[in-house]
Amino acid sequence: MCSTSGCSSENISDGNSVMNCKANGAVYPSSGVSSIKKPKMEQLQADHELFLQAFEKPTQIYRFLRTRNLIAPILLHRTLNFMSHRNSRTNLCFICDFSLTSHLQLTFTGFFHKNDKPCQNSENDQNSVSLEVLLVKVCHKKRKDVSCPIKQVPTGKKQVPLNPNFSQTKSGAFPSLLVSSNEFEPSNSHMVKSYSLLFRVSHTGKRDPNGFINCETDENIDVKEELPSRKKRNSSHRGDGEIPETFVAQMTVFDKNRRLQLLDGEYEVSMQQIEDCPVSKKRATWETILDGKRLPPFETFSQGPTLQFTLRWTGDSSDPSMAPVAKPLSTRSSDTSTTESRPSTLRTVNIVSTSMQTRREQSPCEPRQKLRIFYQFLYNNNTRQQTEARDDLHCPWCTLNCRKLYSLLKHLKLSHSRFIFNYVPHPKGARIDVSINECYDGSYVGNPQDIHSQPGFAFSRNGPVKRTAVTHILVCRPKRFKPSLSEFLESEDGEPEQQRTYVSGHNRLYFHSDSCMPLRPQEMEVDSEDERDPEWLREKTTTQIEEFTDVNEGEKEVMKLWNLHVMKNGFISDNQMTQASMLFVENCGPYIIRRNLCRNFLLHLVNLHDFNLVTTATIDRAMVRMKEIEESLPELEEGQDSSDATCNGHAVSSGVSLHGKRTKSGVSD
Amino acid sequence: MGLTGRKSEKGPVCWRRRVKSEYMRLRQLKRFRRADEVKSMFSSNRQKILERTDILNQEWKLRRIQPVHIMTPCTVDSGFSEFSRQVIPLKTLNAVASVPVMYSWSPLQQNFMVEDETVLHNIPYMGDEILDQDGTFIEELIKNYDGKVHGDRECGFINDEIFVELVNALNQYSDNEEDDEEEDQHDCKFEKMDLCDGKDDAEDSHKDHALIQLKYIKGILHPKMKIFSLFNYPHVVPNPYKELTEQQLPGALPPECTPNIDGPNAKSVQREQSLHSFHTLFCRRCFKYDCFLHPFHATPNTYKRKNIENLVDGKPCGIYCYMEYPAGVIAERAKTPSKRTVSRRRGRLPNSNSRPSTPTVNTETKDTDSDREGGANSRCQTPVKLKLSSEPPENVDWSGAEASLFRVLIGTYYDNFCAIARLIGTKTCRQVYEFRVKESSIIARAPAVDENTPQRKKKRKHRLWATHCRKIQLKKGLYGSSNHVYNYQPCDHPRQPCDSSCPCVTAQNFCEKFCQCSSECQNRFPGCRCKAQCNTKQCPCYLAVRECDPDLCLTCGAADHWDSKNVSCKNCSIQRGAKKHLLLAPSDVAGWGIFIKEPVQKNEFISEYCGEIISQDEADRRGKVYDKYMCSFLFNLNNDFVVDATRKGNKIRFANHSVNPNCYAKVMMVNGDHRIGIFAKRAIQTGEELFFDYRYSQADALKYVGIEREMEIP
Repeated sequence: MCSTSGCSSENISDGNSVMNCKANGAVYPSSGVSSIKKPKMEQLQADHELFLQAFEKPTQIYRFLRTRNLIAPILLHRTLNFMSHRNSRTNLCFICDFSLTSHLQLTFTGFFHKNDKPCQNSENDQNSVSLEVLLVKVCHKKRKDVSCPIKQVPTGKKQVPLNPNFSQTKSGAFPSLLVSSNEFEPSNSHMVKSYSLLFRVSHTGKRDPNGFINCETDENIDVKEELPSRKKRNSSHRGDGEIPETFVAQMTVFDKNRRLQLLDGEYEVSMQQIEDCPVSKKRATWETILDGKRLPPFETFSQGPTLQFTLRWTGDSSDPSMAPVAKPLSTRSSDTSTTESRPSTLRTVNIVSTSMQTRREQSPCEPRQKLRIFYQFLYNNNTRQQTEARDDLHCPWCTLNCRKLYSLLKHLKLSHSRFIFNYVPHPKGARIDVSINECYDGSYVGNPQDIHSQPGFAFSRNGPVKRTAVTHILVCRPKRFKPSLSEFLESEDGEPEQQRTYVSGHNRLYFHSDSCMPLRPQEMEVDSEDERDPEWLREKTTTQIEEFTDVNEGEKEVMKLWNLHVMKNGFISDNQMTQASMLFVENCGPYIIRRNLCRNFLLHLVNLHDFNLVTTATIDRAMVRMKEIEESLPELEEGQDSSDATCNGHAVSSGVSLHGKRTKSGVSD
Repeated sequence: MGLTGRKSEKGPVCWRRRVKSEYMRLRQLKRFRRADEVKSMFSSNRQKILERTDILNQEWKLRRIQPVHIMTPCTVDSGFSEFSRQVIPLKTLNAVASVPVMYSWSPLQQNFMVEDETVLHNIPYMGDEILDQDGTFIEELIKNYDGKVHGDRECGFINDEIFVELVNALNQYSDNEEDDEEEDQHDCKFEKMDLCDGKDDAEDSHKDHALIQLKYIKGILHPKMKIFSLFNYPHVVPNPYKELTEQQLPGALPPECTPNIDGPNAKSVQREQSLHSFHTLFCRRCFKYDCFLHPFHATPNTYKRKNIENLVDGKPCGIYCYMEYPAGVIAERAKTPSKRTVSRRRGRLPNSNSRPSTPTVNTETKDTDSDREGGANSRCQTPVKLKLSSEPPENVDWSGAEASLFRVLIGTYYDNFCAIARLIGTKTCRQVYEFRVKESSIIARAPAVDENTPQRKKKRKHRLWATHCRKIQLKKGLYGSSNHVYNYQPCDHPRQPCDSSCPCVTAQNFCEKFCQCSSECQNRFPGCRCKAQCNTKQCPCYLAVRECDPDLCLTCGAADHWDSKNVSCKNCSIQRGAKKHLLLAPSDVAGWGIFIKEPVQKNEFISEYCGEIISQDEADRRGKVYDKYMCSFLFNLNNDFVVDATRKGNKIRFANHSVNPNCYAKVMMVNGDHRIGIFAKRAIQTGEELFFDYRYSQADALKYVGIEREMEIP
């Protein structure tokens, strides 16, 4: 995992507290309240305190969401209709052409490992580690190859200072390595798919016998990760005395699509110990640890083993213009502090932003107008604070560059609905009144089934887990009005926009009526009541008939078959009986023949006839069909006769006769 | 055991002990067996759960799971230094909203009749506070059941099963006994035992004992039996040992049980006996044997044939058909049967010799002998031994099953011997015919000619009846005690028209197709002849709060499209079970609620309210408990019965009460049964919760109908 240096810790603390803003001096009382007498001062102070509190929470939330969206974006703003101008692919990627003649120069600043106390004495062998840099070429797979052939080209070994103190070391003294441009030329045997640098640091050092353990992968590391697809694991240390340890890290220079991934700059790479046996993240186990500390995501960079180096593409004839130029993605721009920050064009930033807002990247297409935006924060219908942004169309909460006032307003309204934004035209630009949305309902409005079909509610198999995001594709083509700022003006009637409900009707979680288990979405279509003959009822009718003491086995057998047949098909009328009988022959005929019940079946048909439900013609037809089935049955009939005939013998039911309680005569009474 | 057995004085005591110890041993054995059963059931259940969990686990493995960020570790310190500190990340589980309480119930799609419970099965517990408040509740409850509570006393300290086992166990002692223990000695023992055991009302029971003794001495094989008939409980008289054990022997059946006609022991019995089980158990209304809904089944004896089927094929079944006899004989036979049987039935004279046959038959068979030999293969499936059949009839061997079957079929096919032979399968029609001649004394009656009255013209009849039934309905609506709707019971009063004495008429029900009265009965409902959807009062069925009867209403579509749900008649939904898909979820109002999956129109059928059908008395008893629970699934069906969906039911039982409901309940007469339909009171949207007004009972429904009819009268 690599990150451009220095930015990591700020990123986290960014969203932490809004209290900083007061210390920052970014907050100043609005002019209306400034001239007040002394006794009122305290009350005002308290009032102001309340105001800050009211705005603090939503701001915190939006800060957090911003960070999260940077780490794992749920949506791309450029795909939004009102942000369509952001969708320009010009600076998204840089296709490296292979005619480049630049060499890759790496200058290693040091290997940092917090567990080792920094030592002043640089001559000591213990205070430097040996670093080996390999260029890994992953080649295209040929047909016979099982996996992609990988070539490792050693580029050199260097001694790198361990935990150097910058105040003491001269910048020129750092070891440096040059990877020739020839290495990036296509090699003869294989087409190279991607290039990456493999750093291997071997280190023998006295080690604290107790490392720390990190049970969990931190996806957050991926933020700084140039290759998000690669799985990384935080380094973890096990105490094992004097044994030389090896740390590795890999960085992609050119990815599969031959895009250059490493730009000029200072890098700090988090290293991973090789002997690290991965602890299954799914199953937490009791571990003995002493300091019991866990690492927050970016702690690795302050604690863990990292390798710092400066990367530079140097031209052949020391021509810097030959270096490939690519800009990082715009969203990352605010995070990078690698380049020297220009003097900010903003005078004061918004209420919360504490980090230096380095707006390095200004799209050239943006018209350079001196647009002023006044954010006016309202509380209890009083203006409490006014913040002015000049020529800055970044969202104050998520630092998204909206580039247009319309987009900014639309974004604020749609993405930050914990606030109410009202646009008021202003001679110098725009005024946006911000107030707390009292009606904000943060409760879940999606389909409840999505929640329950997700692991993440209480009973995960292995401890609590997060819900995974659910994506539904909704196709909606609303009437698009021409973008106009007037839609953000405060509406007179105060009527909020009509909310469209996407999930109609079934906005609750259903349960199985028999087990009270939540109904999963794929079970929605199955009606438990479609079954006319529930299992218990089938069993009931069988046992009920079996209970008779004065009904013989053959009769019982046919009666049971018939009952199940009727129950299954739900016959309800007299004139269905012919059809029912014929269906019975088709379904149960082979069974009847095998169990040697034909005469009983005939009795049953005669019985139906006696009840005036079928005609003799039906009896004839049924019996003829029975004969046909009998003839078509394979010869096994002969063999089975002996075993199956037991149902007609009395062995089967000998026990039953004892249990039987009922008599048919008792029923007919 | 021999020690005490020698002396007759000590005999009884010894026997008592023996019996006692054996009894205890058996009981214990039973208990163990029961425990084992429970264990195995439990483990099989457990297995099912595990299988289910496995499925879930498999599912979980496939899921992309993000572990939760765990912030604080949980540490456990040990007081002993040798144990190191244990740390595990602390995981907090989210609270899960609990679902409302649900007591288990069995799913049912059709009503299920249960008998009254004479003992209280469990004493309900509903929290201490309720019992404290109303201490007398349980007492009153028990009083309702005459103080009988299930399991109060180990009901039947002895039952048949254990009795047989016990006697078997005791038998082994007797084998060892010496011969000097004679029967009289036993007797003497018993009497002594009597005296010893008669703790309670010794004198009264003594008399009984004597009687019982007398009774049993006759039927009992082994004298020890008497021990049991006399032992301790004079009022629990076990069935005689002999009877019980004989049933266990293979092939032995109770005398009232017909031997299996397909079995090896099939006996030659009369038609009634062969069909007895089928006749008595078949429910003509459910088309099932021993159905769940109708405790009383009419036997078919008095059913009349609607139309006389063409009993005798004009044509012979083959060249060896009995009809291929010289013309004179055939003609005589073909013509005579009906007359003959009629006369026999009337006169009750088993006059054997209206048949001039036997000698002639013999001669004829000889004539055709050669032909028969040649055509053997062309004859159908029947594996007939032709040689046998060609011989004189006396030599044909009829097994019991064949004879029984013949008697059954002759009652259905009368003189269609070809058909009978085909169905018997092992005899030729000629043999059948000859057997028929032999059996002539017990031949079934032929269809009565006099019932074959010419039918009236249908249309006219229909109109007449329509007006007639309207009159009946009017009478009910206006003057009748409209709040009372009685359960329908098929009437059976032979040779009497359905007049004021007919139970159907007095209960103000129409006669149904299940009644024994003729189909011309004036009290029968004619059905509708609608061509529309039968969902307006234009349809006489709809007007009479009946569903269309697929055997009566032949034009509206109620009798068509059995397989599809698209029936043109909208008045046959309950019988077809054309319910809507309902979904269960916690209610917005209270407890569980039921929600509809798809939108429905006004007046559309939603579901039938199913449950146990219990008597009004039983409902009163159960209701007392339900009222205490504040949860009742009772629904008045008619004057005699109540539907209780507590134990068995369907999902609609979860519909809640509302004064402004979106559904209504209607008790309808569906093919002779009252059933409760739940219908949409207005158009209902997807996912809406269903409510209906619980008070809307059948009484109100009829009143409603009555009022409507009043309006129609000019």
